[in-house]
Amino acid sequence: MAIELQQVSYTYAERSLWKQTALHGIDLSIKQGSIVGIAGATGSGKSTLLQLFNGILKPTQGTVRVLDVTIKAGEKSPKLFPLRRRVGLVFQFPEQQMFEETVEKDLCFGPLNFGMSLDEAKERARKAMNDMGLDLKLLDRNPFRLSGGQMRKAAIASVLAMEPDVVVLDEPTATLDPISRAELIALLVRLCREQGRTIIIVTHRMDELLPYADSWIVLNEGSTAFQGSVKELAADPAILERCGLTVPQSLRYWRAVADRFGLDGENPRLTAESLAELIASLPAGKRDAHE
Amino acid sequence: MNDKLLLGRSIETGSWVHKLDARAKITGMLLYVAVILLSRSWMAMALLALFSIAVMISTRIPLKYFLKAAKPLRYLMLFIFIVQLLSVKEGSVWLSIGSLSLHDGGLRLGSFAVIRMLFLITFTALLTFTTTPGKLNQGLEGILSPFKKLGLSPDRITLMLSIALRFIPTILDEAQIIMKAQASRGADLNELPLKEKGRMLVSLLVPIITSAFRRAQDLVYSMEARGFRMDAPRSQYHRLRWGAADTVFVIMFVVMGVAVSLV
Amino acid sequence: MNETSKDQDKEAGENQTVISLEGVSFGYSPEHPILQNITLTIPQGQWVCLVGPNGCGKSTLVKLLNALLPKSAGEIVVCGQKLEEETIGYIRQSIGMVFQNPDNQFIGATVEEDILFGLEGLCLSHAEMESRLHSYTQRLGIDHLLAKHPGELSGGQKQRVAIASILAMEPGIVIFDEASSMLDEGSRDELMGILHDMRAEGKYTILMITHDADEILATDRVLALQGGGLVADVTPAELFLNAELLERCHLQEPYAWGLAHELQKRGIQIDVPASEKELIDTLWP
Repeated sequence: MAIELQQVSYTYAERSLWKQTALHGIDLSIKQGSIVGIAGATGSGKSTLLQLFNGILKPTQGTVRVLDVTIKAGEKSPKLFPLRRRVGLVFQFPEQQMFEETVEKDLCFGPLNFGMSLDEAKERARKAMNDMGLDLKLLDRNPFRLSGGQMRKAAIASVLAMEPDVVVLDEPTATLDPISRAELIALLVRLCREQGRTIIIVTHRMDELLPYADSWIVLNEGSTAFQGSVKELAADPAILERCGLTVPQSLRYWRAVADRFGLDGENPRLTAESLAELIASLPAGKRDAHE
Repeated sequence: MNDKLLLGRSIETGSWVHKLDARAKITGMLLYVAVILLSRSWMAMALLALFSIAVMISTRIPLKYFLKAAKPLRYLMLFIFIVQLLSVKEGSVWLSIGSLSLHDGGLRLGSFAVIRMLFLITFTALLTFTTTPGKLNQGLEGILSPFKKLGLSPDRITLMLSIALRFIPTILDEAQIIMKAQASRGADLNELPLKEKGRMLVSLLVPIITSAFRRAQDLVYSMEARGFRMDAPRSQYHRLRWGAADTVFVIMFVVMGVAVSLV
Repeated sequence: MNETSKDQDKEAGENQTVISLEGVSFGYSPEHPILQNITLTIPQGQWVCLVGPNGCGKSTLVKLLNALLPKSAGEIVVCGQKLEEETIGYIRQSIGMVFQNPDNQFIGATVEEDILFGLEGLCLSHAEMESRLHSYTQRLGIDHLLAKHPGELSGGQKQRVAIASILAMEPGIVIFDEASSMLDEGSRDELMGILHDMRAEGKYTILMITHDADEILATDRVLALQGGGLVADVTPAELFLNAELLERCHLQEPYAWGLAHELQKRGIQIDVPASEKELIDTLWP
């Protein structure tokens, strides 16, 4: 397991200026090398949950186990510095954290902080650029001169440059155009499938991640309302509505076809292409009469 | 509730103080500062406490909210008390340990300093508790309007103040996120050696400032799109209306000032 | 003086042009134009969406309409008035704009103050402000939030406040500049509900910037911008049938359209289904 939470609660201090949702009794486990989607309405505690994954927040109750580090509520936690490198946390609008005058310097910031040599950091910056499908020529550019999509990817690359085993992203595609969104998701999927990294993505557009996610976690008012495979989610999409979310179109169409033919045991077809293929292979109704 | 208090927000209870003209309240507060400075005896302190608590109660806002407003400064108050206690060498000695001696005068002045500070903070919190930011601005604009002749522009000053107040929490919030984001990239204030801290500060300040500029630009667009032009005529929804209650309110403070300086 | 021309606009009804652009360009320097030679007209009451890849100049174009940015060439006419220094006030009054970031367009310290900000600028009487304040907050379902500070509101609620603030100024044209892109699904659906209601009322001309296929589908007309120029002026259906145009504008078709196309590729002749139920009923009656 890459991440395991046992009976984890998190409550913000009463004096806290930051209004965020508390978490109650969360149990969850995330397999190494898998893609996990996290969904939930505004205020369901998604952002709080993410910050537990690399020790930015510490549980007020229960145990968080990330890779080989255990953070237990009430106990003095081990040094979290090394964990931060291995769990890369990408906040919403990550381009807003860029500050150096060149993309390369920004990408080296993380690796250098974690004690790598400059040459090593530069090497990793190059690799991260490739992973995000960015041209190496952009390394010398001022990050503020990049286009919106490029800037987002460069900012994600600045976290990838630390070569984290687990990459956690908070709504990485927000405000991008649909093609840039699909591209970014494809790049993240590749990171998982080709390099074996664990990818955790919080999204409010479940549609774009549904065909790729191995499992889903649905939060509702600070508790887990669902945790399981896509297959299990596809069996009962109504759970999403109970959590204040909309059932994605792809899931609705799959459900309709699966209900009509009793296909519950099968892997859900969640792209237009794969569903059309299935429909074409199913016994035709009226279509025959037509032709 | 606490975070709202920290930001000096208004608490609506509909009491008579809430209904007062903001100008009367601001004037009252200024006079109150004078009252505090004029209070120089235990008797005056008692009078001050009685008066302040009575006015606070009449706002129908629970007293503990006023106390919470002063809470962040409790250590400062303690510090001032101790300094006064140790440094003032007047009156009779009531305790002496070795070379250290505590005098009556020190105890007295230390207590006075703390009481003054406590009332100053809790009582001025009354202004923000009972007045919405908009009315406060309007009151301030009204109070400053005589200075127009001196080339000062009260509406600009209050516009500036209100926007600053409006965006401080937003920018603090964002600073918090950027700190967390940079900590995730290994720039944690607590875990880096000193020489790295300077570099880390840049990594925080640049994003915070860029984002503040972006917000400012957005805000300008949004204000201009709603037809805003500096110095253009505007009407006002909440009109300032000076009534008998406002005069009474201000006179109360004048009377208090006379009373505490006599006893 | 504006009253009469406004009344005339209303009487002229449906087909009168409310926005017209003739050869409009914009750029910070002549060598790097951001928008070039844009010509278009929009009639009263139409719901138009403006699409194109990130950074194609959509947001810049709408900001030229009410002179938030200065055009470098061409002519803009809004509600019968040519955009000039003297008419900026009138034109800004005719155009309301809702922006992307819910936080950065909340001007007042409370919901009430935010709505009053625009109304006070119009120099309205107290009674008029009071009546608008209540009718528009009621209409947008935020009348119970009047005393709230922005920190106590969700993104969706803040966008509602922004819309109420703008509608209360009673503009004939309302522009939504990616107003839904920072909202969650539920709030996005609510926003679309508000837009549908506004269209049904008939008195608003709506110009909306969006990337969302379902949102585009709800509109009357699609204007596509790419590389600083207008590359298409089509209906949503025409857009989603044109794979090449979709690609150029960085858009994706709605799921149901994609499914219909994939089925057609496999020899199953079917129209785009309106819902999953319709699909099943059509295929297997």
